[in-house]
Amino acid sequence: MHILLRGRDISDIYKFDVYTANGGYEGLKKAVSMKPSEVIDLVKASNLRGRGGAGFSAGMKWSFIPQSEPIKYVAVNADESEAGTFKDREILETNPHQLIEGAMICAWAIQATAVYIYLRGEFWDVAHALDERIAEARKAGFVGDNVLGSGWNCNVYTHLGAGAYICGEESALLESLEGKLGQPRVRPPFPAQKGGGLYKEATVVNNVETLTNAPWILVNGPDEYKKIGTEQSSGNKIFCVSGHVNKPGNYELPLGTTFRELLYTHAGGIANGKQIKGILPSGGSGPIMRVNGNDDPILDTKLSYEDMAKAGTILGSASIIVMDETVDMVWVASKAIKFFKHESCGKCTPCREGTFWLDKVVDRILSGKGQESDVDLINNIAKNMSGVTLCALGDFAANPIIHTIKNFPEDFKAHVEKKEVAAEKAAPAKAAPAPRRGKEAAAQAGD
Amino acid sequence: MVTNITKTVTIYIDDVSYQVPAGANLVDAAKALGNDIPVFCYHPKMSPVGMCRMCLVELGSIEKDRATGEVVLDDKGQPKVRWFPKLQTACTTNVSDGMTVRTNTKQVDQARENVVEFLLTSHPLDCPVCDKGGECPLQNLTMEHGPGKTRMNFADKMHLDKHVPLGDLIFLDEERCIQCARCIRFQDEVAGDDVLAFHERGRSLQIITNSEPGFDSYFSGNTTDICPVGALTTADFRFGARPWELTNVPSICPQCPVGCNTSLSTRLDRDAGGRAIIKRVMPRQNEQVNEIWICDKGRFGHHFSRGADRLQIPMTGNAPASLTRALQVAADKLKAAGSDVAVIAGSSMSNEDLWALKQLANGLGSERLGAWPPTHAGADLVAQVGVGKGTNLSALGKGDAVLIIASDLEEEAPVWRLRINQARKRGAIVVVANARKTQMDEFASETATFEYGEAPKFMADIEASDLGKKLAAANNLIILTGADGLTLVESRALMQSAANFLIKTGHIGKANNGLMSAFPGSNAMGLYYMGFTPEATLDIAQKPPKVLIVAQSDLIADDPSVGEWLTKVETIISLTLFNDALAGLATVALPIQSFAERDGTFVNGERRVQRFYTAQGPIGEATPAWQVAGRIGELLGQGKVKLSAAAVMLDITKSVPAFEGARYKELAHVEPQFPMIQKDVYYGGTAYENTGGLGVQIPTAADQGETLNVGEVFVPETPKVGKGKMLIIPTQVLYNRERTFQSSELMHPRVADPYAEINSADAKRLNINNGDMVEIAIAGASAIRVRAQVDGRAPKGAVILPRHLATNAVPLTATVGSISKVGQAAVVEG
Repeated sequence: MHILLRGRDISDIYKFDVYTANGGYEGLKKAVSMKPSEVIDLVKASNLRGRGGAGFSAGMKWSFIPQSEPIKYVAVNADESEAGTFKDREILETNPHQLIEGAMICAWAIQATAVYIYLRGEFWDVAHALDERIAEARKAGFVGDNVLGSGWNCNVYTHLGAGAYICGEESALLESLEGKLGQPRVRPPFPAQKGGGLYKEATVVNNVETLTNAPWILVNGPDEYKKIGTEQSSGNKIFCVSGHVNKPGNYELPLGTTFRELLYTHAGGIANGKQIKGILPSGGSGPIMRVNGNDDPILDTKLSYEDMAKAGTILGSASIIVMDETVDMVWVASKAIKFFKHESCGKCTPCREGTFWLDKVVDRILSGKGQESDVDLINNIAKNMSGVTLCALGDFAANPIIHTIKNFPEDFKAHVEKKEVAAEKAAPAKAAPAPRRGKEAAAQAGD
Repeated sequence: MVTNITKTVTIYIDDVSYQVPAGANLVDAAKALGNDIPVFCYHPKMSPVGMCRMCLVELGSIEKDRATGEVVLDDKGQPKVRWFPKLQTACTTNVSDGMTVRTNTKQVDQARENVVEFLLTSHPLDCPVCDKGGECPLQNLTMEHGPGKTRMNFADKMHLDKHVPLGDLIFLDEERCIQCARCIRFQDEVAGDDVLAFHERGRSLQIITNSEPGFDSYFSGNTTDICPVGALTTADFRFGARPWELTNVPSICPQCPVGCNTSLSTRLDRDAGGRAIIKRVMPRQNEQVNEIWICDKGRFGHHFSRGADRLQIPMTGNAPASLTRALQVAADKLKAAGSDVAVIAGSSMSNEDLWALKQLANGLGSERLGAWPPTHAGADLVAQVGVGKGTNLSALGKGDAVLIIASDLEEEAPVWRLRINQARKRGAIVVVANARKTQMDEFASETATFEYGEAPKFMADIEASDLGKKLAAANNLIILTGADGLTLVESRALMQSAANFLIKTGHIGKANNGLMSAFPGSNAMGLYYMGFTPEATLDIAQKPPKVLIVAQSDLIADDPSVGEWLTKVETIISLTLFNDALAGLATVALPIQSFAERDGTFVNGERRVQRFYTAQGPIGEATPAWQVAGRIGELLGQGKVKLSAAAVMLDITKSVPAFEGARYKELAHVEPQFPMIQKDVYYGGTAYENTGGLGVQIPTAADQGETLNVGEVFVPETPKVGKGKMLIIPTQVLYNRERTFQSSELMHPRVADPYAEINSADAKRLNINNGDMVEIAIAGASAIRVRAQVDGRAPKGAVILPRHLATNAVPLTATVGSISKVGQAAVVEG
């Protein structure tokens, strides 16, 4: 059963008429018939957790908004940028009205004055289409002035970012939304507090997928919702499966589904008859899992917030990247650190400098010129970056290093030892090219 | 920022309990207790951002039972501490009761070492050729916390541009920058000129300027002080000297009435024949005057003190003479004139100079003491109802108000503008009232306008208006006047009306209330206290004396009308810094020393008597003006010349009641200030520390409960502008072609080409286009050629004509004239 990817069942549900003909905006109607605080209580009772990665209770987040404030905002995080994540895009493209409805339910619950949908810059086409959907909803009285005759005014706007991973971090998203450089803010004050949100007003920042759940919960009630999933992880989740599987794609399944069921029943099994070596369960940022072949019992781990934590990793945004036995984990670490080096906002010293330094040393190892001490070095640099930065990007960038070394020491060893072998046969090293000066070098170094 | 917080809380740092002001920033609180938590990005004058991560500490709070509120004890009977799982940045933490901090643990040490190590991975370590080397926070904190050895074992680090001019004055070395954003935040939060920003992201993050021209701010030099590395350097000082070679001499900026405390970094210099010369000017902390900021004119405008045009030897009849001979000629001329002598003294002379000149004139039986330039009246009113003793612009905030009337404060007294803008950001109402639009409008919470000539009336009638009621109701009110578009008579009327309003609304005789004025020069208040007035100057012009002593006043460059009466003076005795036109006209020209070569005092616009010290070696035979006057007096039998400036001041303190308590020793008194300077933890640079004295503020008559005498207000008629004529409004611009600024060659690109602003309606009527060369004709003055600037800021019927930009002198005060396009006869109105 699809709660979110309803476009799979009703192909043109993105159209306003089709959406409303299939129960669309009933959730908002119900919400507006209730007191805002009752809506918050209802969502709290459903145990809907944030789908952006942190898994924080959505209802709880909404309840933090001080009701006495005259100006409040909802910011929808559609900056989907985690490596291997492509779930929000499908919602935005195939079931946009449900997101608009969900955002409006949230807006009603906190009595927001406006909703801003922040989309990553590459989603320009999605944003244009979304603008049309919003206009339809406005025309029908679900958005804008005097929503459903309630006397409450709330408009919905889209805003395109400029293409930065960090703008998926809620406070950097707000900075970017205000037109500033996307860098995380010092907290407290938190976005939900006066002074910490958009334009210093109390703001709820929720992921697209999170809010898209809200209409269903309003219509079917929290008890029905809690029947789906596990004790602590209610509802469906969209799993973005990519890598060495036969059928990569989005799969909306109840939380608590096992890796094995996801990969074999739904994603068509491992490609080319190979054995699984590792899984990145949460894109580039979560700790990598070691999988000792296709029979490894670790594949029976349930995909829920609590079970994944027990397994020493995270569910995150559930972008599941599957890697088979042919994958060199040092290469994986290298790709990941290059990504984070490129995406570090540069605000905190350890992340800005650490990603840059790590990349240089990992490259040296990968190119066969590394030594055993280099592995200890990158492990130590990564640990020094962890837990000391303003936002989680410092930890995200350290994770691929720390966990590939921890879970795949043999891959690093192979590179370091090959170096010794290679060194004997290697021709004398060429003289290093003259260092480039100025902007050119900056561009090169920063790339 | 910690100000006037009386409530205290108990915090524990490294297991010792302390009482600290509630809500204080943890870094500041710890520093006050002698515990230096290292920082790079944090600065106590700006809001914390927590970027550099250098100030990480273990942070916790004492656990209290939720029900009873009692402290929970552990097994050993010690209070139980709930620690944060991760290290926290001290700079983003405000102290609260029961806060527990550990700054000396292995974990904290390691975190500090790590941050330094990270920073150094892409820092060029070119300390041996870096201007900051020797007073560099990164260097100091590396020594204290950094790893001894690098693990960044690559042959080369990243290379970036090392000489990026952000503007004409400031250079950026991209390699050295540690991306702390202090400069960006200073420009935004403190200076109010948001002209710097970050470009790109990650390790490519770089400082850029987004203004045209680059780094367009009068406060840009301050960013080089607060830069914790050598990334930002000034065009003036870079590669000029090493910090350890410098001797820092406390001084006072001679440029404007703010009286910024400065440190002159001097060195015995080969290029100056081994004399000590100023290598740079740095701000010196005086929280009541300039905090730790100065403007770029003060920082880069010091070159006149050793300009090539300084007069080095005395002249008689345009021929070099010995000092003894020149003084004798001067004495003889004065003796022959009897009491028919007068003095005109400049507004940047020291109190000691002025006192000695007054003694000389009085000894001859003359009371004719003129102040130059005669543009601003009402110093006597500032002495009566000026801002109360203890005034600190940093204390103004919500509920307070400042009225700035007839002044473009940004151009006239930049640091006051900076501090008042800060007050506005704290919630004070800042009203800018003027007849023309200026950039001050951007720093106002509201603006008011009136027509030229109407300023005194506007002030006199303000009481009945909504604005007047709002100002009257403010907890604290300061009125700051200028003389923009006013004649001297109008200036007096404006000051009187302002004084009356302050008296009537009770905003006098207490701190943070009263009258200020953007007087010219650094010692206009000193002129008043020593008995020199602008009205006397006008009287001298009306009835020229036989002998006129002109001291440090550039009459010819300042005023086109002096020629009319100066020729009637038989003998001019010029006490001058420069070999200028007046020195050529003088029977005797005596070289005097600038502020940099001797001791002295100025009284700033808030009536603070402040002392400056001898910084650089003497120039030629120049002597202090007080000595020149004293020696002439000695030749005239007026008694022995004083041996030192301190002795002159002692005389002043005995004779001028206002100066009681302003002896040199008292002026040199220092007290602890917040933020605390000491060591180089917050700041780069070593010149901030104030060891030279905080000065002494003269109480007003209102402070002392004396009878006030504002005098009858004479509001003059608005001048009639005849057919085909325009009002000519001379104005001040900070960067100009005054002789005292000309020697600072690096500022030349920042000095505007001569221009005049006119209204587009007038321009259309007169067939003048933006950028046209125009000629401004004023009776009794040479025609002034400038470019027309048709920008909609000038009110109709007025020509806004900045002084000291064009070659020919611009009138001192508002007058009437005509404007026409060059090569085209003036359009006569039909």
